[in-house]
Parts: sequence; structure tokens; C-alpha cells
Amino acid sequence: MTRLRLGLAILILLAAAAVAAPWVAAWLGVDPEVPDLLTRQSGPSAAHPLGTDELGRDILARLLFGARVSLAVGLAAALASTTIGLAAGLLAAWLGGWVDAVLMRLADGLLALPALPLLVLLAAMDPATIGLPRGGALADVLRIVLILAIFGWVGVARLSRAAAISVLARDHVRAARALGVGEARLLRRHVAPALAAPLTVAGSLAVAGAILAESTLSFLGLGIQPPASSWGNMLANAQDLVFSAPMAALWPGLAIAAAVAGAMLVADGLRREDALR
Amino acid sequence: MLRMIAWRLPQIVATLVILSLAAWLAIGAMPGDPISLAMMADPRLGPADIERMRALHGLDQPLIARWWAWASGVLHGEFGYSRLFARPAAEVLWPALRGSLALLGAALAIAATLGIAAGMLAALRPRWRAPVDAVALVSQALPSFWLGILLIILFAVTLGWLPAGGTPDSGSAVEAARFLILPVATLAIAHLAAYARHTAAAMAEVLRAPWITAARARGAPESRIAFRHALPNAAVPLLSILALDAGALVSGALITETVFARPGMGKLLTDAVMGNDHNLALLALLLVAGTTLLATLAADLAQRALDPRLGRDG
Amino acid sequence: MTVAKLSPRLAVLALLLAAPLQAAAQTRDTLTIGMAQATGTFHPNIESMLAKSYILGFTRRPLTAHGPDWRPVCLGCDSFPTLENGQVARETTPDGKPGMHVTWRLREDLRWGDGRPVTAEDLRFAWEAGRAFETGFGGAEFYRSAYEFLSDGPRSVTLRFDKLSFDAGSAGNFEPLPAHIDRAIWEADRRNYRSRTAYDTDTANPGLWNGPYRIAAVQPGAGVTLERNESWAGPAPAFRRINIRVVENSAALEAQLLAGQLDMIAGELGLSLDQAIALERRSRNRFRFEYRTGLVWEHLDLRLDNPILSDVRIRQALMLAIDRPRIVQSLFDGRQPIAATAIHPDDPMIDKALAPWPFDPARAATLLEEAGWRPGPDGIRRNAEGTRLALDLQTTAGNRSRETVLQVIQGMWRATGVEARIANQPPRVLFGETLSQRRFQGAVLFAWISSPENVPRSTLHSDEIPTAARNWSGQNYPGYSNPEMDALLEALPQELDAEKRRPMWSRLQAMTHRDLPAIPLWHRAEPHVWPQWLDGIRPTGNMSPSSLWVTDWRVR
Repeated sequence: MTRLRLGLAILILLAAAAVAAPWVAAWLGVDPEVPDLLTRQSGPSAAHPLGTDELGRDILARLLFGARVSLAVGLAAALASTTIGLAAGLLAAWLGGWVDAVLMRLADGLLALPALPLLVLLAAMDPATIGLPRGGALADVLRIVLILAIFGWVGVARLSRAAAISVLARDHVRAARALGVGEARLLRRHVAPALAAPLTVAGSLAVAGAILAESTLSFLGLGIQPPASSWGNMLANAQDLVFSAPMAALWPGLAIAAAVAGAMLVADGLRREDALR
Repeated sequence: MLRMIAWRLPQIVATLVILSLAAWLAIGAMPGDPISLAMMADPRLGPADIERMRALHGLDQPLIARWWAWASGVLHGEFGYSRLFARPAAEVLWPALRGSLALLGAALAIAATLGIAAGMLAALRPRWRAPVDAVALVSQALPSFWLGILLIILFAVTLGWLPAGGTPDSGSAVEAARFLILPVATLAIAHLAAYARHTAAAMAEVLRAPWITAARARGAPESRIAFRHALPNAAVPLLSILALDAGALVSGALITETVFARPGMGKLLTDAVMGNDHNLALLALLLVAGTTLLATLAADLAQRALDPRLGRDG
Repeated sequence: MTVAKLSPRLAVLALLLAAPLQAAAQTRDTLTIGMAQATGTFHPNIESMLAKSYILGFTRRPLTAHGPDWRPVCLGCDSFPTLENGQVARETTPDGKPGMHVTWRLREDLRWGDGRPVTAEDLRFAWEAGRAFETGFGGAEFYRSAYEFLSDGPRSVTLRFDKLSFDAGSAGNFEPLPAHIDRAIWEADRRNYRSRTAYDTDTANPGLWNGPYRIAAVQPGAGVTLERNESWAGPAPAFRRINIRVVENSAALEAQLLAGQLDMIAGELGLSLDQAIALERRSRNRFRFEYRTGLVWEHLDLRLDNPILSDVRIRQALMLAIDRPRIVQSLFDGRQPIAATAIHPDDPMIDKALAPWPFDPARAATLLEEAGWRPGPDGIRRNAEGTRLALDLQTTAGNRSRETVLQVIQGMWRATGVEARIANQPPRVLFGETLSQRRFQGAVLFAWISSPENVPRSTLHSDEIPTAARNWSGQNYPGYSNPEMDALLEALPQELDAEKRRPMWSRLQAMTHRDLPAIPLWHRAEPHVWPQWLDGIRPTGNMSPSSLWVTDWRVR
């Protein structure tokens, strides 16, 4: 219980910070994207509470605007993987037969692949070739969410397939089915309640994974394009000068750690509550 | 058991074949083939030169035809030549594989040992639960390249105790171990949490089981209950994590290898994929995917052996 | 667990921690160099890579090179061929065209690592292999033009060319190849020589190397170990062994230097400039720093058939809106010379009268107004039809220094009412497709590497605009097309008198300065980081790496 609350508190705090970003920037009188070559890498001051980065931009403001991008990537990727995974899992459980076999072998194959090199390959492709817009933070978020979802759905699909099969195998459900109860009703009354808990757990874990994955892609130069900030690209940009300006790397690193920990606490808390029930 | 193997092995082979084709096409779909890179380096190449070079490298053939040529080579044990490293692909693979096995092997052994121990501690001694959870949480939340750089700053640059990365010149085991400490620590910290969590969860569940209560009632000592009764049963779900990690053992750790400048499969795979080195990329991919699929099969078999309840469905 | 049980393990740990750091740093007969790029093939004529040319600088003697003063010098030959010393002479080709022949005389003391002398046969093999297209050597143009090989003795080599060229004395990549090892391999299977050459199958064979060092061991992707070449007859190099380590991540490279595992970082491919400047501020006393500006020209290629950029006034306004002095001062500590054109200020053919474009936002605004672009409500200019003055701005993703510069330029253009959308791409995509197949729409930031007095035909001649019909050959990515420029580029190489070339070069510079097919930024400086105890390295700033002069390197 306390875990869930602590995790939610962390995430809500970060989300609130993300929402408040424009006001904080306005209050400080800074623009998170416009370089100022006169104030490069200055230490903390009243004007810049966390100092400035290698282009003289306010680190606090970039951190807050970065929260929008990083949290958006985390939530959207989790949502996308959960939705696709749920659909695939239910389809496999419901239809069985060759649909099940094909979907599950596809899942096995994806699980057996080393994800990172392939993420890199996908991230390096020109988004325009598959009809995605190019340039701008929103397009980047979309691109990254899509790439993460390609690998992310597998876990959810297996989970929901297993849960659905076990529900469908229960005697009263089989009886209901035999009596001609509609599929939709079956889904709502029997399968959905059984799936809710493991899915929310998997979803919050996916949020954590996506936030970490975004930072890894940024480290490899394939993340969110400048000048927009994300925690991942702030961290990656700071690494060249990490020995002379370590603080510029410290803050985004802590922010990522806090968000990931928050999401995991939520997952953990949910799991425990479910186990108690 | 044998039936399951006979049923799954052909599926694994089919998955690998399809994977190789998909990967071949995906790599080929990337812009920047060897010729366009040569054109950047040599501005005086004329249109006719380029056409002849394409033919020379076989790039005038369609992708599928090139995949077919490669696949028939593989069937004859010919894995082709790595364009990037200018050596036979198999020859490039071994040092990287050795590097990854050493790095990941040590890291996963440490992560599994410490993680399982911590998980058991948390399950058996309630007052340890909170600290173990906290450590697991933090270790999983840190971005690994960030952690790696922090460790380098502290132990290599500031204190000067350990090397900042790379591989030793001399072949001595002590030197090799010194070079391994920081990257192994970085990786072990990242992997430890999963073992701790799953052990703790599985143990907690097993300990609630009626037959454990019965054993307690019979007066069996707590340590015997923990190690003889609870652990083997809790090990069942751990096997699937171990199987996935066996894949990691072979696929390497791109970020850690990059930050610590160590040769390994993660870096090799990424370089090969990004460098349009089809032969090397495919060989490495198949090795990794094959290992993971076989390890998963092995884990399924072992789970079945440990837990007869998992029956027919296969 | 008790303390007693723990202690043996602690002892091992203490032993591990206390073991001395890298004996190399103390003994000084070994030098460990870090560099940021891995090598592929070690064959000198197959694929061109900076990392390879740096390593081959220690281990091979080319016929000629460009010295630190950017003058051509003989390394493997006796005297540099010129018209004056008679080693270059005009003649007429058998089919009646103006041609020339060039004679190089090999140094007497040049030997392969297995003791055999370097002879004309080694150059004959290089020429034959280069002429046979299926071998896959670089520099196809050179071998096409060099139609006959003559030799009157083991040390004399003459090539006959079917056209005139003022720099014919420079042999470039035409270097001796060990015929006694590789000729048989090549003759057996020319098409597969690329993958069978002893340079890659037997890299540690001393007979492949004729420089002060030889490659003794290769760790693919991780580095090479060089040992002294016992057959080397020139001045003895200072180090018994040189280790070259590949560390591709720049933070890791710096960390290994700071941890004492690397003695120096090669400036040719090492730290980024801003990283080196920050490092110098903190560890001035531990290392020596030298910043050598070189023939690497950072610029923005502009897509001239974009309707916005086809107007020269807009190109000039974009140029005037970039405050280059400020960028160079604050990001690069003033260490990179601002470029007037592609020609480096130290190039013999620089026109010193031509000043770089200044930073003048007022003039930029005037030019944009004249061209019909007036500020809109959001500060971005619009023309009469209401089109926004917006451009794509691209560079190589993952190159932090360039990404940084791009953001500054974006900000400066914005202040003039020009919107730039950043869309960076991985190098392979950018160079492999976006630039080379002219898929970019706005401006692309990248660099050209050249050599002294390099005629920029491939980037400025209208025949060199890449098209699908021409297999995308050529590097005139902007699409610059000007008959006067074409004529100039064709006449320049054939003018053998340097003083007559000078006005032609001035004209060329004036034209690119005015027309701005590309916006010049600056000439890149390479930061060299050496230990305090090392003397005698002279960075060249051109395509000849400093390692060619390793025999001058001394321990202080």
C-alpha cells in the first residue's frame, strides 16, 4: 500500500513538474531551447537554480520541459505495448489454432532477438520512408514510441494469453460459453477482471522500461532531436564534458532514476495488493 | 519430453530462417551501402566505376537473391567475409563472444547469487524486506551508462584504483580481473534486482503453501525448510529469467561495452548492423537468437521436470 | 559470516586494487596512443579510413606526402619530381593528346621488414593491380590516367599520364606493395584479392611493412600493437613498442587518458575540440595540448534548387546572420579560423584579399526585405504568397559538437526571422542517401577533408551534380551550375605554372564567396594531447598523418 502511494506520489510530482514547466521558465525568465553563448556552463545562481548547460540554457527549465517528453514517451510506449499486447494475447487465447501458433512464435522470435541492436537499426531508419513525419519533438516521440512498442508488446501478449486461457478453462466460464453467453459479455464479466491487475503491473513496468530505453537511444545519438530536451538527450549531451561539468549529467540521471523507481514502486504496490486480494 | 523436443526444434529452425530473412531485408533497407561509402571517400569515381563496383560486390543483385546465396553458403559452413573488419565473419565473432561470455558470465553469476540471496533474505526475514526492496529498486532504476561513468569517475579517474576500461596487455589473470571489476559491477547492479524480486516473490508464495506450514508443524528446522523445500520450488519461475539471461550472455551488453571500451557481442552486433555488414550481423544474430531459443526450450523442459503440474499444453 | 571468513577475500580484493597501474607509463620505452575510430582492412589501397592511414603512417613509407608545412616531400623517393629537376616532363600521348611522364627514384635504404629491398617491381605490382578494375583499389581516376609503367633499374619508376596535372609529382596512394608476398595472391584470384591479401590474412607478417614500425598484433576492433621494424635503415624511433587502442566513446577515451592508461590521444581522430579545451583547463600541467588547424572545412551545403535558396540574396542573408566570431570564441576558444571560402588560410593558393563574410544582422534583414520576405506575427518572415521562410537544417546525429553548433545557428537565424527545423540523421543515412542522392531540402552541416591546392572539381563542377542516371556519382550536392566555374575547374589542373594558377584560384574563390553554394563556417582544428615527457610530434593538418614522422618523436 505504502509502495503504491510512494510511487504514485513520485510520478504525480514529476508530472506536476512537467505541467508547470512553462510557468517555471517564465518565472525564471529563461527559454529552454534558445542558446545563450555568454552564460555557458555557469554554476547554480538565483537566475539559474541548477546552473546552465553547454549552450548556456537553464538546466532546471530543460529538466522540466524534458520531463514532458520523457514521461510522454514512457506513458505512450507503455500504452501502445499494452494495447497491442492485450489484443494479440486475447486473439491468441480466443481463436487458438494457427492464429495462436503464429502469434506466439512471432513473440518467441522477437524475445529471442537482441533488442538493442535492432532498436538502433529501427531508430536509424528515416521515419519518412514509413510515412511518419520528420523533425520536431512530437515526431521523435512518435517514432520512439513505435519502435519500443514493436518489442514491448510481447511480454503483455504472453501474459494476457496465459490469463485468458486459464479463465476460459474454468468450469463456470466454460458453462457460460456453452450456454451461449456473448463473447463481449464473457470478456467483460470474466476475463477483464482477471486481466486488470497483471496488466496494470505490466503497464507500469513498461513505463519504466520505456524511460530507460529513451535514455539509451539518446546515448547512442538516436533519441529526441535538439533543441527540444528530454532527460535522455540531456544526459547524453552532458557526457562529453562529464569530467569538467559533472552536474549537468547528474540532474537528468537522477530524474530518470526517480521516474523509473516511481513506476516500479507502483508496479510493485499493485502486485502486492493483488496478491493480498 | 522427447515429443516436446521433436515438436519444438523444427519450430526453432523455422523461426531462425524467417528471422535471418527479415534481418537481411531490414539491414538492406538501410541507406548507405558499401559503394556509397566508397563514393564519399573517392570523389573521382565516375558513373561507370560505380556500376562496375556494384557488380563486383554483388550489389546489383536483388536483396532476396543475396540472402539466398548467403543462406546456401551457411548450409555449407561458409559464413562469409566481414566487410567491416576485413576478416572472415566467424573469425571476428570469437573474440567478441569470448569478451561477452567473460563479462556477462561474471556479472550474471554475481547478480544471480546476490539477487537470490537477497530475495531469500527478504522472504525469510521480514525486517530485511524493506532494505532489500530499496536496493533492488535503486539498482534497477539507474541508467547503466550513467552508472558506468559515475563508477569510472570515482574509481578510475579520482581514486586511480582501477582501470577506466579497455582490456589488459598482459595475459595475467589478476590484470584481467582488475579490468573486469567496474564493467561487471555496472552490469551486475542492473541485473541483480530482477533475481531479488522474483526470488522474494516466489519464496513468499511457496512459504504460504500448506505443506510448508505442515513441515513447520512437524518441527522441521527453518533452514531446512528454506533450502530443501522452499528454494527448489521457488526456482521454477527463476528458470525462465535464467533462460533469457543466457541469451544476454551471448548478445552482450552494448552500453557497458561502449562505456568501458571492451570488445563484445553487443558492440559487434550494433556495428555490424549499422555498418551494413550483412554476413557478420546475420551470423551474430543467429547465434544469439539460436542460443536464446534453445535456452528457453531447456528452461521449459527443466520447469516441467521440476513441476509436473505443467502438463500437456506445449 | 565472520570477519575471519571474509578476510581472504578482502585480501584478494586489496591485491587487485593495489596492483600497479599500467607499467607502460613508467618505463617509457612503450607508448600507448588512444584513438576514436576502429580499423577495417589494413591494405593501403582498399577503402580509405583515417584510422588506417594513421596506423600505416608508422608502418609504411609512401613515395610522397605533404609535410607539416603543407609542401610536398619525398619519403620513399630521393627527390620530389618537378618540371625543374626534369623528373616531370610534358609529352604527347600515342593518340596525340597532351600528356606527361613522371619519374620517382626509390630511396636506396628502403627495405621490407623481412629484409628484402623495396624495388620498382613493388610499384609495378601496385600499378598493375590498380589498373585492373576488379581488384577494387581506390583512386580509379589515377590508374585510368597512368597508362604506361616504365622502369630502367630496380630503383627507378616512370609513369606516363594521358593528361596534364600540376600535382603529378605527388604519388598519393600509389605506393609500393610487397610484390614478393601479394603478387601471387593477386594473380591467383584478382576478384577476391580484396579478401585474400596478406595485409588482412597475415597482418603480422613483417614483409608487409617498410616503415619504422611493423604491425606485430591486431585485436580486431580494439587496436593494434606495433614493434620496431628490424630492417628499417632510417633514424631509429624512440619506442620499442607502440600500442594503439581504439576507444570509440569520447567520454571513455578521456577517462582512459585521465586514468593513466593512455599516454596520448591522436589529434587526427581523438577528442572533440570542446572536450579538449575543457580538459586543458583542468589538466594543463599533466598534458601538453596543441591545436592544429587543418584542411577540414566545416560548412553548410545549401540546396540551390529549393525556391527559397535559389535566390542568392537569401543565401547571403543566411551567411550574414551567423555570428561566427562569437561561436568560435565561445565554443572553440577561438581556435578554429573562420573560413572565407573552402580554401584554408594556410593554403598556398589562398586569396588573402578576400575577407570572410562579417556578422551583420542589419544587412541580412535588408537583403531579406529586398527579396520580399517580411516579418510575420510569430517573428518568422513570409513572402507575398504567405509562405514562411522555413528550412530544414541537418547534420550527423550523435556528433555532439555539430549538434551544438546547429542549435546556435538555428537560434541566430531565428533572430533574423528564418525558421530552421533540425532533423539530424545517423551518418550512414545522411551521407549514404540524404546528401549523396540529394534528398535534403535545406541546409546540411558537414565537413570536407582535402589536401593542399586541391581543385574542388567534384564539389563545384556542374557535371558532378549527383543524379540517378549517373549512379549518384559526384559531390556537387548543392547543385551549383556555372559555365565560368566549369571552365575554370577544367583549366586549373592543366596549368603547370603556379604563378599563372594564382589568378585562376582567386577567381574561383571570389565566385564561391559571392554565390555561396555552401555557407563556409570554419576550418576545423584537431586537438592533440601529449604527455609532458614527449617531444617532436608535428601535426600536419593535412591528409598525411603525424605518424609518418614518428622517428622525430623523442622522450624528453
